[in-house]
Amino acid sequence: MRIKVKVNGVWYERDVEPRKLLVHFLRDDLGIKSVRVGCDTGNCGACTVLLDGKPVKSCNLLAVQADGSEIITADYSDELMERLKRAFHERHALQCGFCTSGMLLASYALLKNKPKPTEEEIREGISGVLCRCTGYQNIVEAIKSAAL
Amino acid sequence: MRYVGKPLPRLEDYHLLYGQARYVDDIELPGMLYAGFVRSPYAHARVRRVDASEALSMPGVVAVFTPQSGKPFDFAPGGKVRYQGEAVAMVVAVDRYALYDALEKVYVDYEPLPAVVDPVKAMEPGAPLVDESLGTNVSRREKYASGDAERALASSDKVVEEELVTNRVVPSAMEPHGVLASHDGKTLLIYDSTQKPHIVRREVARSLDVPLAAVRVIQPDVGGGFGSKIQVYPEEVRVAAAAMALRRPVKWIATRSEDFKMTTYGRGLMLRYKAGFTRDGVLKAIKGEVIADAGAYDWFGFDLAATAATMLPAAYKVRDLDIDAVSVLTNKPPLGPYRGAGRPEATFFIERIMDLIADETGLDPVEVRRRNLVPAGPYDNPLGLHYDSGEYLATFERGIAATGYYDLVRNAEAEKARGRVLGVGMSFYIEITTYGHEVAIVRAERDGSFTVAVGIAPHGQGDATGIAQLVADELQVPIERVRVVWGDTDAVPDGIGTDGSRSITAGGSAALLAARRLLEELKKAAEELLGGPATYSDGTFKSGDKSVTIGEVVEAVYRGKVRAQLEAMEVYKARATFPYGVGVVVVELDPETGLARPLLYRSYDDIGVVVNPLLVEGQIHGGALQGISQVLYEQVVYDQDGNLATPNFAFYHVPKATEAPRYEPRLAETPHRSDHPTGTKGVGEAPTVASAAAAIKALEDAIRRATGKRVRLRSTPVTPEEVYRLIHG
Ligand code: FES
Ligand code: FES
Repeated sequence: MRIKVKVNGVWYERDVEPRKLLVHFLRDDLGIKSVRVGCDTGNCGACTVLLDGKPVKSCNLLAVQADGSEIITADYSDELMERLKRAFHERHALQCGFCTSGMLLASYALLKNKPKPTEEEIREGISGVLCRCTGYQNIVEAIKSAAL
Repeated sequence: MRYVGKPLPRLEDYHLLYGQARYVDDIELPGMLYAGFVRSPYAHARVRRVDASEALSMPGVVAVFTPQSGKPFDFAPGGKVRYQGEAVAMVVAVDRYALYDALEKVYVDYEPLPAVVDPVKAMEPGAPLVDESLGTNVSRREKYASGDAERALASSDKVVEEELVTNRVVPSAMEPHGVLASHDGKTLLIYDSTQKPHIVRREVARSLDVPLAAVRVIQPDVGGGFGSKIQVYPEEVRVAAAAMALRRPVKWIATRSEDFKMTTYGRGLMLRYKAGFTRDGVLKAIKGEVIADAGAYDWFGFDLAATAATMLPAAYKVRDLDIDAVSVLTNKPPLGPYRGAGRPEATFFIERIMDLIADETGLDPVEVRRRNLVPAGPYDNPLGLHYDSGEYLATFERGIAATGYYDLVRNAEAEKARGRVLGVGMSFYIEITTYGHEVAIVRAERDGSFTVAVGIAPHGQGDATGIAQLVADELQVPIERVRVVWGDTDAVPDGIGTDGSRSITAGGSAALLAARRLLEELKKAAEELLGGPATYSDGTFKSGDKSVTIGEVVEAVYRGKVRAQLEAMEVYKARATFPYGVGVVVVELDPETGLARPLLYRSYDDIGVVVNPLLVEGQIHGGALQGISQVLYEQVVYDQDGNLATPNFAFYHVPKATEAPRYEPRLAETPHRSDHPTGTKGVGEAPTVASAAAAIKALEDAIRRATGKRVRLRSTPVTPEEVYRLIHG
């Protein structure tokens, strides 16, 4: 099937097998490696991308379902994304980095909708992404500081 | 320009934040094939026949390796599988989708056998045997004893007998296991999600009978390990063998559900014991056995039992001990190291015993520990461990004050009056870190910058930043002039890797000593250039009124003007060191549902010299959550037949951001140096060691506060159902 998606501001047109998962399409067909696979059950959030502005788990969607949509991954750059990355660095909000793309995108979506979230809202906002390394506090602090 | 001690943000981050990260699944090689494993649905079964003919005829399938393929494809050793998920065949195909289609089409004829799941039952006569050639499921038993435990028990005022269990957990690194191998006719190149590239290299070379020089292992970015990527799994060797056999790159990336079937599990230790103590709360003796639920192969089960046994006395004065370390085979995936490996279990056991003594004597838990603690190190633990340095009693007292333990207890009482149920638990821990040799090379570049290559293999800890700090200080150069490389067996000839909280202590000491030696070399060259004895500071050698920069000296050596070594390699042999401290956990309990949530983790740790407080803080946060989560959230369930009922993150609960506490760690203001050149003791595992024992006590405390009932919790995890039953039953 032929699909057209806009990823990080660029339109791509590609043939895909109908059963191909969006995460494999992004990683294997478009070479966007920052979208990661941590599970096969939609539970870890490592594969989170923004689909038309909303955080979704790209391992839970078929590529064909994204036809015509706009996708943002952690490689996207704008003022907010840069602020978040800087804050993650300064607050030591990443260790192995495997969850980091998902965390950045979940927090990006959160701050887009709610520029000044409470701590509880931040924790709720990133609760779809698991991190085994950081214990979350520094991630929460980073998002708080990026929100200011 | 002193860097050690500063909270420098990590040098690793840019790479990980800006799309440059490459985990093994992100690496692609031309002509690459995908490998996958056919895994047993039975926990215990004879494998009668593997039929790969249909799979081989599927589009895109390149090869299927079965037990008939011979070493290293000797799946199902002795003709049987011994745990659910054990591999019986390997399929190689052109892409993931073709691979998964073909995996379904390999037919295996199994004859199911009765499984043994519970290690205690496995020890009983007549239990099904996991490995018939042993004639028993007890794979190893050894005694660790001192004094006269029987006599000390007989003369105790009170003797208690019970069992304590730290159940199996899944280490759950967010990146699953994976490996990519290729062979160019001369060199076998392996990208591996491992904690130990040099050990993988040695194991692959040995198993495939190729010279070490012909194997290069690269540890790309690794998405966590926590001990689960220490073991060299048969999969790693088999992928390399397939790449050699097929002369094409072969990649295997475990799915998460597959990861749950083949990764090593952590904890899985039980203590069956009798303890005797006086009515004044002094522990006199422990007699018992530490039993490891080793799983189908005793890769690490016995080591875990032995570590827990020898660390059981902690820094308490008890010297009459009689502990058997026992590893028992069961039809489960093999037990392996997990953050702390033996020390969280030992601490859990002994701290539960301290809390028991407090309950039985009516003494305050702090007072009980005070009465039992060895005042200070060095101290020879009765089971043969030499604790290097520390003020156990004074640091404990300071820790109780620094964590505000009594304020937290008072606050819990006050909150109860307002209808909110909190529980507070505290633990004292001492743990052992650092072992084995470590290798580092420091090389001077022509402009006076330096490349440091290390055998340790950090995968999230940030050790490269810590080592850059150590080396920059030693060489007195700006840190921007120091680059640390790791995770490539071509960069440094050997090393053990990253585990056991040893990377900064062993790897950092190796780097520091190599830098020191290199500087001595350069000083000799500088003196030759300057024509007299020289002093060195901040990048410049001075002799009288003449001076030369370190970069100029190096340049002169590279031009052959003077002779000196420009590279120094250090093989550093490390001895054990013993961090220790106090951990406090506060939980909130909903008595209606039995659900508990951690609110706060406070700690006071003496970890020796602190190279980078930011990195230390990160380790404490993540480590504490793992220990707490082992008590509150993470449950591995098998049925009687050895079917894993918790095969992925949909069933196995790794805590989310909404389920994590606040962390408020403090470090001892007068740390006790280790005798390593870095003076460090290591911190990666300390918070996990401290937090589980404190968390279970906090839960007990909350249940007591909710009900007035004094309950005793003996096993992790404590599920909400169990708490509900304790409250309402
Ligand atoms: S990969 Fe885990 S949720 Fe998508
Ligand atoms: S940084 Fe490792 S999983 Fe989050």
